[in-house]
Parts: sequence; structure tokens; C-alpha cells
Amino acid sequence: MAKKFFCPLLLLLLLPESFSADNPTDRRLLILVDDLTIRSSHSLFFKSLESRGYSLEFRLADDPKISLQRYGHYLYDGLVIFSPSVQRFGGSLDQAAVLDFVDAGHDLILAADSSASDLIRGIASDSGVDFDEDAEAVVIDHVSYAVSETDGEHTLIAADDFIQSDVILGEKRIEAPVLFRGIGHSVNPSNTLALKVLSASPSAYSASPRAKLSSPSLTGSTIALVSVVQARNNARMLITGSLDLFTNRFLRSSVWKAGSSNKYEKSGNEQFVTEISKWVFHERGHLKAVNMTHHFVGEKTEPAVYRINDDLEYSIEIYEWSGTSWKPYVADDVQVQFYMMSPYVLKTLSTNLMGLYSTSFKVPDVYGVFQFKVEYQRLGYTSLSLSKQIPVRPYRHNEYERFIPAAFPYYGASFSTMAGFFIFTIVYLYNK
Amino acid sequence: MAKSSSTDAVTLIRSLRSAYAATPTNLKIIDLYVVFAIATALIQVVYMGIVGSFPFNSFLSGLLSCVGTAVLAVCLRIQVNKENKEFKDLAPERAFADFVLCNLVLHLVIMNFLG
Amino acid sequence: MPGRGIIILLALIWSSLSICTASVVRPISEAHRSAALELFVPFDGSFGSLEDIYAAFRTLEILGLEKTQDVSDVACESVVDKLGSPSSTAKDLFYALKVNSILRCQAETIKFEEIASKLQTVLKSASSLPDFYYSIGSLLLIKNQGFEVLLSDAAGAFQSIKAFSQSDGRWRYDSSSAESSTYAAGMALEALAGVVSIADSEVDKSMIGVVKNDIVKLFDSIKSYSDGTLYFDDKYVHTNDYRSPLEISASVIRGVTAFAEVASGRVNIPGNKVLGVAKFFLSLGVPGTSKDLFHQIEALSCLENNRIYIPLIISLPATVLSLTSRDQLKVDVTSVFGVPAPPLTVKLLQAINSNSDGKPNIENQELYFDQENSIHYLDIASLKVDVGKYNLIFEASLHDPVAEKKYATGGRTSFSAFFTGSIQIDQAELEILNSDGDSIETIESLDLSKDSSLSLSANHLQTFRLSFQPTTPLGHAFKPHQVFLKLRHETNVEHIFLIESSARQYKLTLDFLGFVEKFYYLSGKYDIELFVGDAIMENSFLRTLGLVELDLPEPPEKAPQAPPQPIDPYLRYGPKAEIRHIFRSPEKRPPKELSLAFFALIFLPLLGFLIGLVRLGVNLKLFPSSPGPVAFSLLFHTGIASVLLLYGLFWLKLDLFTTLKILSFLGIFLVFIGHQTLSRLASTSAKVKSS
Repeated sequence: MAKKFFCPLLLLLLLPESFSADNPTDRRLLILVDDLTIRSSHSLFFKSLESRGYSLEFRLADDPKISLQRYGHYLYDGLVIFSPSVQRFGGSLDQAAVLDFVDAGHDLILAADSSASDLIRGIASDSGVDFDEDAEAVVIDHVSYAVSETDGEHTLIAADDFIQSDVILGEKRIEAPVLFRGIGHSVNPSNTLALKVLSASPSAYSASPRAKLSSPSLTGSTIALVSVVQARNNARMLITGSLDLFTNRFLRSSVWKAGSSNKYEKSGNEQFVTEISKWVFHERGHLKAVNMTHHFVGEKTEPAVYRINDDLEYSIEIYEWSGTSWKPYVADDVQVQFYMMSPYVLKTLSTNLMGLYSTSFKVPDVYGVFQFKVEYQRLGYTSLSLSKQIPVRPYRHNEYERFIPAAFPYYGASFSTMAGFFIFTIVYLYNK
Repeated sequence: MAKSSSTDAVTLIRSLRSAYAATPTNLKIIDLYVVFAIATALIQVVYMGIVGSFPFNSFLSGLLSCVGTAVLAVCLRIQVNKENKEFKDLAPERAFADFVLCNLVLHLVIMNFLG
Repeated sequence: MPGRGIIILLALIWSSLSICTASVVRPISEAHRSAALELFVPFDGSFGSLEDIYAAFRTLEILGLEKTQDVSDVACESVVDKLGSPSSTAKDLFYALKVNSILRCQAETIKFEEIASKLQTVLKSASSLPDFYYSIGSLLLIKNQGFEVLLSDAAGAFQSIKAFSQSDGRWRYDSSSAESSTYAAGMALEALAGVVSIADSEVDKSMIGVVKNDIVKLFDSIKSYSDGTLYFDDKYVHTNDYRSPLEISASVIRGVTAFAEVASGRVNIPGNKVLGVAKFFLSLGVPGTSKDLFHQIEALSCLENNRIYIPLIISLPATVLSLTSRDQLKVDVTSVFGVPAPPLTVKLLQAINSNSDGKPNIENQELYFDQENSIHYLDIASLKVDVGKYNLIFEASLHDPVAEKKYATGGRTSFSAFFTGSIQIDQAELEILNSDGDSIETIESLDLSKDSSLSLSANHLQTFRLSFQPTTPLGHAFKPHQVFLKLRHETNVEHIFLIESSARQYKLTLDFLGFVEKFYYLSGKYDIELFVGDAIMENSFLRTLGLVELDLPEPPEKAPQAPPQPIDPYLRYGPKAEIRHIFRSPEKRPPKELSLAFFALIFLPLLGFLIGLVRLGVNLKLFPSSPGPVAFSLLFHTGIASVLLLYGLFWLKLDLFTTLKILSFLGIFLVFIGHQTLSRLASTSAKVKSS
């Protein structure tokens, strides 16, 4: 009895504006800063987040009152760490707590710069991304730098080597280069979860501009300026070595790449950070798959068992979150596997453009317990992994073929014997 | 000596024929029935040899119906033959009744297995 | 003599300390004006509370921007409302009066005298610093409107405010609070200045002197950033009461400049400190929030015309100058708002190239003054300086000696600048040498102004050598920061080599024998790329020189594997190949005609049986004649026939259970009938036998 009252109450407590499977966009973000003037110097970026409906909470990174969770329940849906030089976080937050936060499925934006502390480097390397170990090194590019009257060391770079992905960077192409100043990092080639969103040009290298160059560890396009990591639980992380990438100055500034004849009035920074923050906070590229059903061709109910050589139809609905609502997902490469130890059938599903994907095929003539598996992984999209078990039985004794033409002689023989027997009984009994 | 062997064969066949002619008619009917059954069986075996044993159950069924009924007929002949001292006390009608019953059971089984 | 050396050393140290190194500070510009227009956007026709309205209008006024009429009207309504309401607090009246002083709302309904007398009462009973601040401030604003306002017990008010001060120059908010704050110091000083303005009799000079000392002590606690800017800060408290260094510094500047206005005599703050605070405000650039912009602009406007020192900012609009395009070195000397300074001369005391050993390349050059653009300039190209990173030290000296006391220029200011130019690469050569060290297998001279496409080959016994000489436009040897060579194998495994320099030449010698293991024993084509770059090189390049076909020995058993190369992410995510299950092929069936032929054949024995029976001459003589046995016999045979028919039906469509059910009935029937029939037959034959 008490449960009946308690459950709706609990639902009411959980309802208001939180990250849930139905509404995957994050809502509450915690922003950790070194110094509260970042609110002012990065105000355009924060304003764009607020205008998309996020509620931001700013805290100094060593504020003793920081806490990410209370009684096992996370207070925030996303974490933005704009505090490159913090040595130790305040409150109950530390490197392990940040990683637990991501492991719980929440998102992270981490921005370092040339004053990055070991704590920040540690968080980045746990996420699969390694900043240059030299503490003095910054990314220098003498060929693709941004022409500037006040910055002569070529540490201000105009980068335009973007990843080709409409999901991550938006449909509209970023025309102007992006201004970057900070440290570079590398992504381990065997890491399948991390992607380089913005890479340096082939002539870039990571070194200290004041010291003489000794063998550089990071050079060329292997230097990643901005990377994203999508974990297996679909938590997304953005890691970059330039906090200046998000400043008002860079967002408003004009950019002229050295050696290029185009001078752009506005750098690509604003479009870049807006689009990529949309992706990181699950406003785009978030898929959900529901209603995996299968049935005999022509019927509607789902049987409990299939027989070998049956014709069946399989369908699944996939939707994409658009930031405000679920829209049908349209693609031509969703595949289903009919799997038992190895896939027996692998078919591409066809869509009706309203989010329904279906196909039909014949059940293999091997019996056993199979699974319908949909494993969908595309660049920038959350990964879908669903399976449904279904047994497949062999023929029943009365499902075999009967009245086979090849067996007519045998049928004929049996009936002929029966006829002969009948005649025999008559003849034998009454013969004198 | 070939001549004697061929004449021996002819003589053998001739004596066989005359001995056979002495058998009572009902036994001849049974013999004819057995020959009919075996002939049908042989045709089925030849057919299987040509095309293979695809509906194996049908093949067995057809073959067994012929062979089974032949065997039952042979049993009937043994029981009904007056020269058989063993079955002197068995009424021929009783043997016939057994024959009919067994055949009916045989044919039920055959029909079930025919497929 | 050692004594002289020490003195020189000390002098050097002292002079370096007194040089202020400037960060990138530029005076207020159009960027600030457009930011103000963007940030101060009325929401629903109004800027918000009176405090926000004041901040918006004050900033727009200082920057010389127009305010729209309807926003002013809405603001005036709010002002009139607040001034007329009897429940307004001193703080509300203060901000309302502030807005009124900008907008000059025409309202006859505002009874300034009433408000003034109300404020006097509040003042008499004031016990905390904010009370004093707002009431005195409001009274001062009313006086500025043109009304007669006189504070009778000025000395008392002065003392009460002074009572909250601490020994380090800071103030407490009231007598009960333990913490003192610099922000409160700013408020207190402003309030004290107000008291002096509206006093009916002159305030005691000694008290003013004490406050002046407090100000000096306050400035002693000033903090500084690493780039030389100075600011005020308080200990960090809980976020709700948090005030940023910008707010606190703005409050102090407001208070100090207000007090310096009304105090007779000078306040002894060194000009460098005033300049440092001004640079702090300017170094924020364009703040992103409206509140921050207001504090920055208001504080700078207080500094623009203050009685202590007016800061003059020396700034360089461009610190990267190109010698090839003959850029001029330009220096701006203006007030914080970009207003040109009074007549002065700017001298470039020293320009030291970071590569040379402290010896200045330019000394004591006076800059020319462009009257039209109010800018000081120097034509560097004509001075024959080489490219490089320079440390420039400027000094500005005012023409008018009186102006020296009013303005603070900061003495010697140093900047770092880049003079860029085109670096020539001479005598570039690429050689493959044989193992005996000196005989040259191949030698190619390179033109490094464009890509080359050489095709060389070498084996592990040979040596690769690359050499070239970079020279500056003036012909000196140049050492670029980035000089390396990259060899990239077909499998994308890369190796980077730094090229060492000796005197004038850069040379790289690769003895392949020693690198066999480093190259992971990978033979094949290697692309050669040369990277030469530097901050002052206008023509930094990445050139493909061609390829070298390397022949390396076979790897031994335990050779290290080359590191894995990254897989193209677009290939990693892609649809897999489709799989169709191959069904077991059904058994080969004979052609239908054959089956039908044998079907026909199978009935031949039956036919033969029938014919044989006829040949045997069978008869049905034993068939009974009397009706009873006839019926039984007929039924018997029909029974058998029906069982056989049942079997046929069973094969065609019935299932076993139905068949057995029917069979049981038929069977019982048949048994009974059969028994009857056969027993009759038996008795008949026995009768025949016996007769």
C-alpha cells in the first residue's frame, strides 16, 4: 500500500529537468575554472550554452564545496574543466572521481593550455589522449600560423584540418580556419574510441619557442589539436590543449592563414565550438533503437520458436535525438545478424524513412538457439547494440514432404500388395 | 559328358515340374502370391538402384510390405500344408485367421511409415 | 676595481627593476564601443534594476554612445517612482539619483528637498559603512542638481566613517564585522570625499592628512601580476559575497580619485602605481559581461582626469614588423581612452637582438612624430638592422615640465618585437657517400625555393648527407628554430632527424649502417621531407625533396616490429559484407517420367498374379449358399476391404489416433464376423471330409 504512494512521489522528485534516456541532452553543467574572470573572457561560449537551455554553475577548481554527487546520485549531467593549472581539485573531486563521472555515462569537456598541471594531464591520459610531456612545449607552426600584428612566435595557429563528419561538426562546412594557441596531444593509433577532430598541419611541431629544439616527439599531422572520445557507454569527452580556443577574443577575431590569399572576417571558432559542444552534450548524434520485433511473413505476432527454412520478417525502429525531440534516423547501412557463435545471415535493413528498418530472410537450415543482433557503430554516432534470442527447431515428424513423385513406385507397391492380399483372401477361402 | 549334364538338368527340371504339379491348388495359390510379392519387391530394389534411396522411408515401407506379406504367406503355407506333421492339429482356418490379422497389422505399420 | 663592478651590477639590477615590462595593453577602442552596444541590450524595454540601469547608462555615456529614447523614458519612470516612494531605502535613492543625473529626467514631482531631509535623518542614525555611503552619496548628487545641501555635523560624520578604518588602510563594513575589506575602503574614501564636499564648514586638515596616509598604506598592499599590472584584491570568501579583483580595484580607484579631488595638497602615490592599475584595467581587453565592462570603463574614466597622476599608455599597435615590406616601427602614446597625449618625445633607448650577446643594435634613436595620426614612428629598414627577436626599450619625455607632475608615463618601458624577413638558403646539397667515407656515389644540388623530385637509392653501407647555409638579408649566418628532416616509409612509418649546425652551415650525416635497427629493417621507398622554420622567417617551408630507395638487410629473428600506424577512422566504421546462408542442396530427384514409368511397372506383378490365378483355374465353389453364411462371408470381406480403405484414408489425410479409434471398432466387428465365417467354413469342410 505504501509503495503505491511512494513510487509516484519518487517519480515527481526525479522528473524535473534531468538527463534521462528519454531526454538525452545534458541539462546541468558544472564549470570548473581557475579564476572567475573566465566567466567574462569566455562569455560568448557560455552564453551560447545558456541560450540552448543548459544551466551552468561556475566554481573555482579548488573550491572546497565542490561535489559531483550526493548520496550516489549525480548532481550534474556534464562537466567542463576550464582550469588547466589546478594542482588539486577542491572538495571530494579528484582524478578518479572525474573518471567515475564519465564512466557513469556523463560528458566532459577538458581544456588545457601551456600551464597544464599533472592532474589535468593525468585525466587526459586516462581518457586515451596524451599531451606532450615537455611542460614548456606548445604547438608551433611556421607555415600555417595565423598572421597577427602582435603575436610573432607562430604559436597562434590557423588550423583547418577537420574530421569529415557531419554529425560531429554540423552540416554546414566550417569555411574559416580555427584559431588555436596551446599544447598539442597525440592519440594512440590503437585506440578505437578516440578521434582527432582538428589536426595540425604537416609542418607543425611541439616544442618550447624559447629553448633550442631537441628531438621533437610530436610533429606533423599526428599532433591533434582537438580530440573527442566516445566511450563504450556513449559518454562523450572533448579534450583540447587550448583554453584560448573558447575565448571571446578568438571567437570574434578575424583570421588570415599565412600563405593563403583569403582573409576571413570571422574565425571558424564560434561555429566550431558551438557545433562540437552540441555533439558532446548529446544534442546530436544520439541514437536509440526500440521495438525490435520479428514475425512470420504476413503475420503480426511474435512467435516463440521458429522452424528451419521458415520465412521471417525482422524490424527495428531507430530514432535520432535532435536536441529537442526524437526524429527518425535515416541511413542505408544498418545491418542485422542472425547469429549463433558466428553470423549465419547478415543483411542490410531497408528503411521506410520514418525510422522503421525492416528486412526478411529465410531461417537457415541449422537448428539451435540464435540471436538477432544489431551492432551499429558509425563515426560520431552512439553505438547501438541490441540482441534478441530466438530458438530454431528442426522439422516435426509430420512436417516432412509427402506424396513425392519420386516415391510413386513405392506407394504403388504398397497399394498393389494390399490389393493382392484382398484378392488372395477371397480366392483362397473359397477355392475347392 | 556335357550331354549328360544338360540332360541331367532337363531331367531335373522335368521331375521338379511333375512333382510340383502334384501340389494341391491352394498351395499353388499361395506360391503364386509369394512370387507376386517378391517380384514387386525386386522391381522396387531395381528402381532404388537407379535413382537412389531418396525417400528412404517410402522405399523401406514399400519393400517391407512386399517382403512381409511374402513371409506371412510362407508361414501360412507351412501351417496349411497337410504333409507337415508339425501342424497336423492346427485348423487351417485358424492359420488363415492369423494370416489375415498379421497382414492387417503389417499394412497399418506400412501405411504409417509410407509418408 | 671590484667596488666599481659591484656598483655597475647593482645599477644594472636596479635599472632592470625599474623598467616596466608591458603586456599587450591597448587603450579603449572601437571594440569596446561595439561590445557595449552588444552587452547593454534592454530586456523588455528596461535594463533591469536601478543599479543595472545606472551601469548601462553610465557606460554608454562615457563611451559617447547614444541611448534610445524609449529606454530612457522607461528608466525615468522607474526613477521617479523610486524617488517618490516613501519606502525607498538610501541605496534605492542613491541609484535613482545617479540615473537621474545622467538622464536629467524632467519631473516636477520629484521633491528633492524632502528627499534631502530624509537622507539627513538617515545619516544621523547611520551605523554601518553602506548607510553612510549611500546617504552621503545621494546628498552629494542632490547638491549637484543645484539644490542647497549642507551637512551640519560634517566632522562627526567624518569621524564615524574613519572609525571603521583599519591600520593597514582597509575598512570594515561596520563595528560588528571582524573582516576588513579593500572594497569597503573604496566605499569609505568615496563617502569621506562626499562629506568634505557637502560640509557646511571646512573639515579639519589634520583629519584629511590622516586619510591621505591611509590611502598610501592601502596602496602599499597592492598586488601585482607577472606582467607588471597592479590590482587590489580581498581574501576569497563564499561565492555569494565574492567580488572580483576588477570590482575591488574599481571601487578603490573611485574612492581614491574622489578623495584626491576634494583634498587640498597632493596624495603621495607614485605615478608607477597609478599606471600599473590603469594597465590592469586595460589588460582585461574587452570584458564579456556587462558588469565587468561597466567597472572597467568607469574606473578608467576616473583615472582619465584625476588629480594624482593621469596615466599615459605607451603601446605598440604592431610588434611583428616585416623588413621585406619595409614596415615602420610605430608607437602610440595616449591616455587610457585613446586621447592623444600632451606634446612629448619618444626615444628608443635600446634595441637588443636576442641572438647577440647583450650588445644593443640600436641606441638612443629619437622617433619621429606624425602630427596627423598622432603617432610616433621610426623607419627601421633604413637603420640596417637584421632580422631577429628584439627587446626594445622606450622612454617618453614630456616637453612641458609642469605636465611632468600631472602625467605618469612609466619611465622606461620595454617591449619584445619580431623583425621578420626572408631567409636565403644557399649551397644546399644532398649526397650519398660510399662506405669508405669519401667517395661520392651521388651528389645533387637543391633549389629549396620549391619542391624537388629526386630519386636516389642507397644501401645500408652508404651514408646520406644533407647540407645548406641559411643566411639573413644582411648576410649573417642564421640558426632557425625548426630544422629537421623526415624520412617516411611507404607504410607511413616516420623517422625525424634534427639537423645540427656548425658555424655557418647546417649539416646532417646519416650513416645507414647505424640506423638499420632504428628503421626496423624496412627496405623500400622513403619520402624525404625537409622542414625549416623560424618565427622571424617569412619564408618558412616544408619541402619534399624526393625519395630514396633504401636497401636494408633482412631482419633477424628478434627484430623489433615497427609501431602500428593509425587506421583510417572512416574505414573502421563501415557496413560489413553481407552473408547469405548456403542451404544444403536437396537430394537429386529422378525425373518424373522415370518414376511414373516404374509406377506403371510396379502393377505388372499384380496383373501377373491375376493372370496366374486364372491360369490355375481357381473357383469360388466353396462360397456358401445359405443366406446366413453368405451374409457373414460378405461382411467379412467387406470388413477387410474397409480396413484396407481406412488404411488408404489414413495415408491420405487421417492421423494415427483417429485411425486407431475407427480401427478398434472395425477390428472388433471383424473379429466377430471372421470368427463366425471361419467357424462355419471349418464345420462345412469337416462335414465334407467326414462324408
